[in-house]
Amino acid sequence: MAGVWVLGENREQLFELLSIGRSLADRYGTTLVAFAFQDAQAARDCIAHGADRAVVLKYKGQEGPLDVFLPAIVEEVKGKDPDMLLIASTYKLKELAARIAERLKAGLCSDCIRLVFNEGEKSVEMERLMYGGSAIQRVVCLSRPAMATIPPGTFEKAEAGSGRVKEGDVDEIVQTHESAVTILERKVRERESKDIREARTVICVGRGFEKKEDIKLAEELATVLRGEIAGTRPVTEEMHWLPESRCIGLSGIQVRPDLYIGLGVSGQIQHVTGLRDAKVICAVNRDANAPIFGVSDLGIVGDLYDVVPKLVDELKKGL
Amino acid sequence: MQRPSALGPYQKQGIPMLDIIVCFKWVVDEAFIRRTSSGDLDFSSVDYKISEYDRNAIEAAVRLREECGGSVTAVTVGPPEAAKGVKDALSRGPDRAVFAEDPLFGGLDPSQTAAVLGQVISSKTPFNLIICGEGSGDVYSQQTGPRLAEFLGIPCAAYVQKLTVKEGRVTAERKVEGFIEVDSLPLPALVTVLPDIATPRIPGVKDTLMASKKAVIKVGKNELTAVPPPLLKTKSVRAARVERECEKFTAEVEDIKRFVAALQKRGVLK
Amino acid sequence: MNFQLTEEQELIRKNIREFAAKYVEPIAAEIDENERHPTELFKKLAEGGWMGIPIPTQYGGSGADYLTNAIVVEEISRSCSSTGFTVSIHVGIACMLILLFGNEEQKKKYLVPLAKGEHMGAFVLTEPGAGTDVMAATTTAAKDGDFYVLNGTKTFISNGPLADTYLVFCWTDKAAGRKGMSSFIIPRGTPGLIPGEHFHKMGLRSSQTSEVVFKDCRVHKDNLLGKEGAGLTNAMTGFDHGRVGIAAQSVGILQAALDESIRYSKERVQMGNPIARHQAISWMIADMATDLEAARFLTYHAAWLKDQGKPFSKEASMAKLFAAEKAMHHTIKAVQIHGGYGYIKGAKVERLMRDAKITEIYEGTSEAQRMVISGNVLR
Repeated sequence: MAGVWVLGENREQLFELLSIGRSLADRYGTTLVAFAFQDAQAARDCIAHGADRAVVLKYKGQEGPLDVFLPAIVEEVKGKDPDMLLIASTYKLKELAARIAERLKAGLCSDCIRLVFNEGEKSVEMERLMYGGSAIQRVVCLSRPAMATIPPGTFEKAEAGSGRVKEGDVDEIVQTHESAVTILERKVRERESKDIREARTVICVGRGFEKKEDIKLAEELATVLRGEIAGTRPVTEEMHWLPESRCIGLSGIQVRPDLYIGLGVSGQIQHVTGLRDAKVICAVNRDANAPIFGVSDLGIVGDLYDVVPKLVDELKKGL
Repeated sequence: MQRPSALGPYQKQGIPMLDIIVCFKWVVDEAFIRRTSSGDLDFSSVDYKISEYDRNAIEAAVRLREECGGSVTAVTVGPPEAAKGVKDALSRGPDRAVFAEDPLFGGLDPSQTAAVLGQVISSKTPFNLIICGEGSGDVYSQQTGPRLAEFLGIPCAAYVQKLTVKEGRVTAERKVEGFIEVDSLPLPALVTVLPDIATPRIPGVKDTLMASKKAVIKVGKNELTAVPPPLLKTKSVRAARVERECEKFTAEVEDIKRFVAALQKRGVLK
Repeated sequence: MNFQLTEEQELIRKNIREFAAKYVEPIAAEIDENERHPTELFKKLAEGGWMGIPIPTQYGGSGADYLTNAIVVEEISRSCSSTGFTVSIHVGIACMLILLFGNEEQKKKYLVPLAKGEHMGAFVLTEPGAGTDVMAATTTAAKDGDFYVLNGTKTFISNGPLADTYLVFCWTDKAAGRKGMSSFIIPRGTPGLIPGEHFHKMGLRSSQTSEVVFKDCRVHKDNLLGKEGAGLTNAMTGFDHGRVGIAAQSVGILQAALDESIRYSKERVQMGNPIARHQAISWMIADMATDLEAARFLTYHAAWLKDQGKPFSKEASMAKLFAAEKAMHHTIKAVQIHGGYGYIKGAKVERLMRDAKITEIYEGTSEAQRMVISGNVLR
């Protein structure tokens, strides 16, 4: 028995895990199985996107806490003995993954950003960040299965192949357990339209901005470049000039746009960690020694209040 | 252990007191991590602190005790040097501390930490509620809390921003992508909390001086059933480098033109 | 010899540093610019027990030692020397004098609210014609039955405009010479005690300094602090404690100057290199760091001696003399390192340099310190 199993809360997360899952399954020479919650169509689409098999985890009745599936998942693992479990690193799945790992006595690498297959040892070496983003830790699981949670956006989504779904490819596991936890209600946090992870161009607001109203400068630039606005942690979580969902950084969102421009961003490691995979990184800062320039491809040394209007003018000419 | 008789408003209504455990970790203060000239990490002048998230957890526990009455026990697993952290924790409001101490306890993986915490808690201190930070400031695996809940066989809610306890149940508002989910859990239970839960106080002078008068129960390795072997092995820790060759421009209009041309050349303008 | 601070002292240092970064640093420039006494900040300091650190808990203090107090003054001064100074004299002189020389009733009535930070204290000795020459004072307290009547003018009194409790030194018997001065505890609002208007100073501008005029101010003999005629010895004891505090304040200023200089010299690039790589600058910083270490150890040692119950006058003077002179010297260097930027309002080093000067003057000028030290050493 073996297998690489992936688990996500939605189809986007699943397709991302399927891409890395496929390459690992091929190295292991084993099957790739996708687990989806409740959504049978998503499970079927996983087959189209590269899974060999899929499983739908179904609630008996209404949607409830995810831990109702905990015993069933653990049983499946014990029964089918996969090599590896890859789980999307969402708030709920991080908790669930740790509990699955504890029941299985399995090692779990949290927020894994890179997986490298070690041919000699037929094992996977996993990398993750430590010390607020200053360090990269490389670990291996000494257990079987090996487990990792992977932040959404770490891997590209697997492409859809040509229709391969056969009836027997999708199984169903119905909830076997009740949870001690009751969900009382869901409260909407804030009106959020865009997921900045989807943006190809990101303009980031840093502490160089003197007041909240000045963010419209950044918005003008974003409009011209057809990009999205984001912020550093001080601008979002501390000063609340922008919502937390637009916070780029270790404790916020990791983005991989084609173009990132930081305006008045100093470039602390906790922030830079969130944009290190951007294709082109640019910065505008009046301090020639700001750390952001050490991680940028292009840097303008100047006051953003002076530079941004000029930049907007110049870009408008080009359109 | 004698329980303090702090009476909160609930006790006056005949509702029993709350025994809260808060777990904390003594970690490297990352502000002191330097880089050598070759870019490697230099830990030679590091200082230590209670992990930031754990400070929020301790504050949340202490405030809950103020509301509900009862006690707060701070629990940690660490090497002997972590005794400073125990004192620090006690200066922030808990009534007593339990310290599982051994030189080897500085390098445990989350499953081992959870096992030691679990053994220590089950044998040394009764509880209704365990509060943990969402993750530790150094490793940030975010696993120890849920693993501990499983070890103890109690329900769990992670990433909680707001906590209330009433009539044997805890209501936890937890952060989920896009919204807040309000969960209700029966006690005993475990929650992991976000920094939003409570802003930690800065201990006053007397708080620090009184800390050494509070009880600390030390537990050695031999008082525990064997610490389980690690499930994760760290192969290396290296400096995270994000380095790129930066082409610089001034704020002059000519240079702005050059900048835009450079963007064009790199194919990022649509 | 144990050079290690206790765990409590280390924790307290971390806590006050966090406090200072959070509450003091953000307002330091503004209260200097506007010459404002930040009442809200002192309320927070009082809440944390920072205003009565070495005073026993039974008298409203925090029950810590004098070394802890020195550490706290240093850390606060690192963010704002005015605030550090105000805490220092409030604790080191006003509180300590009542603790050492007051009777039980006076301690209950006056020391407790001072140590709790509910009241502010002032040390009232200097006069227009009597600075270093204390004996040239002219303020008198004439006996009148159960009362004393004070007449005279005091000047350069820190907390003069706003203190709740004034510790006043004046002649009760001029003919008795050094045994002719007495000290009194006089609460604000006593008729005849007239706080003057705030002086506009070069530095330490948030600290409120003024004249205090006594015009037929009647004070009951119960307010006599210690024995009649013990005023001068009381004042000298006050100076010993105060000098450790000023030394600590100067250490804080030095540390801030060093922090700023290191930060700036690493960021500022001239002729292709951060200026920290230029020897002229790096040597200035080396000297600054060295003198800072020395000043700190002199200060901590003086505080430690006091905590051990040993005589510490000479050491307090030495610490004050050295730390103050070095603070002045190196804040000038810090501005130099910053170049033009160090001369502009808003630069921290600009304020540090203005603040440093007074440390060479008050609590006994550097000249007075040299008299004390040589008097001691040449005995």
